Amino acid sequence: MEYVNPLTGFRVDGRRPNEMRQLKGEIGVVAKADGSALFEMGNTRVIAAVYGPREVQNKGQQVNSKEALVRCEYRMAEFSTGDRRRKPKGDRRSTEISLVIRQTMEASILTHLMPRSQIDIFVQVLQADGGTRSACINAATLALADAGIPMRDIVTSCSAGYLCSIPLLDLNYIEDSAGGPDVTVGILAKMDKVTLLQMDAKLPMDTFENVMELAIEGCKAIANYIREVLLENTKQLECQRG
Amino acid sequence: MLTRLTVDAQVPGDAVLDLTEMTNQTIKLGAGLRQDCDTIQVTGAGRLRLSKPNKYWLESSQKRYVPSVEDTVLGVVVDTKPDNFLVDIKGPNLAFLPVLAFEGGTRRNIPKFEIGTLIYARVVKANSIMNPELSCVDATGKAAEFGQLKDGYMFDTSTGLSRMLLSSPTCPVLEALGKKLSFEIAVGLNGRVWVNAPSPKSIGETVLMWMLWHY
Repeated sequence: MEYVNPLTGFRVDGRRPNEMRQLKGEIGVVAKADGSALFEMGNTRVIAAVYGPREVQNKGQQVNSKEALVRCEYRMAEFSTGDRRRKPKGDRRSTEISLVIRQTMEASILTHLMPRSQIDIFVQVLQADGGTRSACINAATLALADAGIPMRDIVTSCSAGYLCSIPLLDLNYIEDSAGGPDVTVGILAKMDKVTLLQMDAKLPMDTFENVMELAIEGCKAIANYIREVLLENTKQLECQRG
Repeated sequence: MLTRLTVDAQVPGDAVLDLTEMTNQTIKLGAGLRQDCDTIQVTGAGRLRLSKPNKYWLESSQKRYVPSVEDTVLGVVVDTKPDNFLVDIKGPNLAFLPVLAFEGGTRRNIPKFEIGTLIYARVVKANSIMNPELSCVDATGKAAEFGQLKDGYMFDTSTGLSRMLLSSPTCPVLEALGKKLSFEIAVGLNGRVWVNAPSPKSIGETVLMWMLWHY
């Protein structure tokens, strides 16, 4: 199957190889949560809710009493994929992604400012069309900023692949299931540091560098968008208060 | 990469001050700012504020509260211990309210608060290492309206809205409500507000008018 048309250069959904899907971010969508956000990357739609910092509920889980405990849970709604899922959480992939998101966000949260407390991040995938991991990290960043939890920097994530000898930015489900490599990168935007780097399949080293560079550019573009969303939200709060 | 100091909306990761440009100055950093080698970075989303001569802080509005000393808060009792009441003030940890921190408090007349009691208190100790400590007496030792709040209705707000309700000159919403209705109100800086009025209908009207205005 041709994932990139040799004549026109368009991908299966009409994008160019270095074009990302349409982004949409909204803050404050879950009224009960301390911070929440909805993030869409094309057809992938994800909700993140943050509770905390609050009193630790299970003292057994608290390893380091000088830092806050960050917990993360990744779930996919049963209706998020084409076929109804049997096990929305607890399967290996969900457990792995929960761990990955937790480690990525922990790199940015200033946990030493809130010792002996707990921060819960719940991400739920409503619609899955490739890149759910990245969308979850972006949504979690917005939700953490909405909850006022102190962070070093904005964490953004994007994926990139390599099909038909062309690096492609932001794979959707069809491109992801093509069997080619899928590189997911998460960065701290202003500090320019990588906090997450994952790849499946194999790539030669120089190609890998190109693909990773492309993914990092995608992350920076998402960071600009997230900045705008947060600034807009801050200005709206000011207007409400008068 | 370095944004010039503007009293404007900021986002985590922004560097707002370059210390190499400001020599021989002491700068006080308030909430939401931290020092990173030579720059001052922002840790949350909010507006940067400057209080002359040298105090900077980030003003933002959240649902949860960061305890700081001398704030007046509304807490809910969640447990009783021999020496303290454990009070939830919507912060990272539960707060302790010593059983003797009441006017004329001695071991013989310890108040009996059940779980769920609403308390109006002020924060006496607040740092990240310990649980915050509250007190129901003011600095001179008088009760001064602190203590249990009976009847009425309590609801949650954001910290920004509480600060606005307590701002001076008097918040226009409270003035306007005060002209039409008679009610009692206690505002906690931790994002809780308690209202009481002679008849249940007045309480309902107060809360309804407030909500219509807020949303």
